[in-house]
Amino acid sequence: MVFNSLHFVWFFLVVYALYRAAPLLLSPDRAHRAQNWLLLASSYYFYAAWDVRFLGLLVASTLVDFTCGLVLGRIDDQRRRRVVMALSIGFNLTLLGFFKYFNFFADNLHVLFGAIGWQLDFVTLRVLLPVGISFYTFVTMSYVIDVYRREIAPTRNLLDFAVFVAYFPHLVAGPILRATKLLPQIATRRHVTPAQMREGLWLIAWGFFQKIFVADNLAPLASRIFAPGAHETGINVLLGTYAFAFQIYGDFAGYSNIARGTSKLMGIELIENFRFPYLVLTPQEFWRHWHISLSTWLRDYLYIPLGGNRHGAWKTHRNLLITMLLGGLWHGAAWTFVLWGLYQGLLLIAYRPVASAFAALPERRDSYGGTLRFAAWLLMFHLTCFGWLIFRAPSLAQLGTLTASLFAHFAPSTIDVSGLLAPLLLYTVPLLVIHALEARADDVLVVPRLPVAVRYIVYVATMYLIFLFGNFGGSEFIYFQF
Amino acid sequence: MARSTRRALLLVAIAAVQFAVFETALRVWGHSEAAPSFQALFIPDPRTGYRLRPNARTRFVTSEFDAHIAINAQGVRDDRDIGPKPPTERRIVVLGDSLVLSVQVNQQQTFCSLLEARLNRAGGPYTYRVINAGVQGYGPVQELLFFREIARAFEPDLVVETIFVGNDAEEAVTSAPRLRPEERSTTDVVSESLVTRLRRLVRRSMVLQVLRLRAVAVTDRLPTWKAPPEPPLQSYAANPAPRIADGLRISRDCVSAIADDASRAGARTMVMLMPARFQVNDEDYGNLRAAVEQSGGRLVRDAATERFDRALADVPVPRLDVLPVLREGQRRADVFFEHTVHLTPLGHEIVAESMERFLREKGLIDGL
Repeated sequence: MVFNSLHFVWFFLVVYALYRAAPLLLSPDRAHRAQNWLLLASSYYFYAAWDVRFLGLLVASTLVDFTCGLVLGRIDDQRRRRVVMALSIGFNLTLLGFFKYFNFFADNLHVLFGAIGWQLDFVTLRVLLPVGISFYTFVTMSYVIDVYRREIAPTRNLLDFAVFVAYFPHLVAGPILRATKLLPQIATRRHVTPAQMREGLWLIAWGFFQKIFVADNLAPLASRIFAPGAHETGINVLLGTYAFAFQIYGDFAGYSNIARGTSKLMGIELIENFRFPYLVLTPQEFWRHWHISLSTWLRDYLYIPLGGNRHGAWKTHRNLLITMLLGGLWHGAAWTFVLWGLYQGLLLIAYRPVASAFAALPERRDSYGGTLRFAAWLLMFHLTCFGWLIFRAPSLAQLGTLTASLFAHFAPSTIDVSGLLAPLLLYTVPLLVIHALEARADDVLVVPRLPVAVRYIVYVATMYLIFLFGNFGGSEFIYFQF
Repeated sequence: MARSTRRALLLVAIAAVQFAVFETALRVWGHSEAAPSFQALFIPDPRTGYRLRPNARTRFVTSEFDAHIAINAQGVRDDRDIGPKPPTERRIVVLGDSLVLSVQVNQQQTFCSLLEARLNRAGGPYTYRVINAGVQGYGPVQELLFFREIARAFEPDLVVETIFVGNDAEEAVTSAPRLRPEERSTTDVVSESLVTRLRRLVRRSMVLQVLRLRAVAVTDRLPTWKAPPEPPLQSYAANPAPRIADGLRISRDCVSAIADDASRAGARTMVMLMPARFQVNDEDYGNLRAAVEQSGGRLVRDAATERFDRALADVPVPRLDVLPVLREGQRRADVFFEHTVHLTPLGHEIVAESMERFLREKGLIDGL
């Protein structure tokens, strides 16, 4: 069940009606408990709508980590605590490794042995990828690690914990939530404020706009450039890469916004996952503005435990590379994702020596300040886009062809104005206008706080754009595959 | 005035202003069949519901094509008027729907014009005029009525009734009441008049047209309480709804009636069966088959052609099925456009060539 489907609309309307009816019909404590049961049942239904067979994995992950949390809460011996945490992490990584990476490693082993003359005739299992597994395994792992670190107390309420893991707005494509933020909201009674209603509705509308108007309309442009065997000139590859940059942003940020919006309507706050990432000036800032819940997860549970930047330049670089390589691999079992992670790691390493110069840029008020900021933004945007070229390329060979077109056969006169440039502008300019408003106010929820007339202009224009120009094909969100 | 009322009025005012802005933008840049310039090609008609507006002119542009459309004083797609027939002229009237009208290509590229050029290239005692009497959205019932009301006056020597097998059985069922206007109740007439007025209002606005299409797309996907939703493309279904058999019977009756009327006017008749795009395009077929299977049905690729072939078997008129030649042509290049299920210039050439060969083989030219 995808957010942009009629199935979800019906599902949410029914769930929401029951959710809001509970406090009207029951005592506060009973209503709270009934709401949590409703959230659990609806979340399991939401997940089973994809493939009921994988519901067992979700339940198993919930039970194992709930138990590990309880055990960690009862023992003080550090060695035994470490064993329990290792068991939990081992269980989650085994799930993830088997379902997400088994095919990848088996295929590559086959190729590797073939290259040295061993024709292994083993049967390779074709393992299906359960939707959202990368997200909920990270959620449960972070819970156990936080309990191990004594940053939170383990919950003794299985219902609360099961809702925390399976909560349908964030279940299949994030944000990757932390127990410290979500569990207390599930464990206590909730009250939906008028501001939450207004902001929630806007986030849902804006999320649909990002998905249906921006991402789904730009998808054919990107697909044309990245089609296997396609031969386009460099200028058109560049436009197709811009299209993909906004497609993946619209798709993923759109999902996150719909998730946050639906959750706000139920009185539960989810963390912000995107903060105008294409307006940043440096690679470090990019990762503070793009898929914030993943980058902070990787920072807190991988980069810092590896040593972070505490042991000199070489170890810092090593830690950055490992973190970003694994971050790339998290996105999918393909060499292009590994290469993308390596590229992001190298960008972060290359940025470190010049970080102080860039850090001073926003403060410069001399005549060159604006020009330098613009140049830095332009450079960073194109470095990000080159990353997306690596990320989206269907194969390493195709990546080579696209890169060669970009640098050796740019041919500006061959620009496809009607097929690429015009639709790219049509579908990105409205997004950039709101982006600029948000960045200026440094607030992704600036629109519901605008003066009423301006707010209505934006609301109405958003609805017209969705209904007149939106692509209602109901395609899945890109991040479901991760 | 209360604050909520003021806000509601403000919202309505903003919606109205933006409506005007989007309407203007779509009229200037949004070339599609919803454009008023395209919709202006049609006028209401008491018998057929609507027909082409005499002397209308427009240009139809999309990302795939750019075509000029001229309707003559008689209300068919031609830049020449149709006067009394000279003794040395022989006329072929081609009845049909949008696949005959062909607004996607310029007039010289339509299979009617190409056939005319081919027949005249051969020389002989007569000059041939092939009249494109296709109208967007027509089915066999409206084609029969159009022939009686308009095209019979063109003094045809040969009438070609083009059956689009993809939806003509369904169209025939929908428009069958038009054959018996005296049996229509006042309620039907009033309700149709209201619906027509509403449609006309919606057709005047591109914004409303797009919104209507969105609403239809949503309501089509709503479950009904009475019965499960019907899989699409019933004309091709392995087990079609009973109305398909009714539609085939009505279509056969219409073809017979056209042949009888034509015969009384001294003309001969032939039928041309036109396939749907997915019958020649494998990728399209794969997608539609999956969609139909998802809705619980089974798609039989050539079922509609075979059903029309059987339904018309006892009507004594020659039949040309252009499916095999279009399927052969698809191996060279697309015979249908990608974003519209209509013939490309290559598709028109193939149909014209096939028609010429058929006319000569069947002696339909020599006997005119």
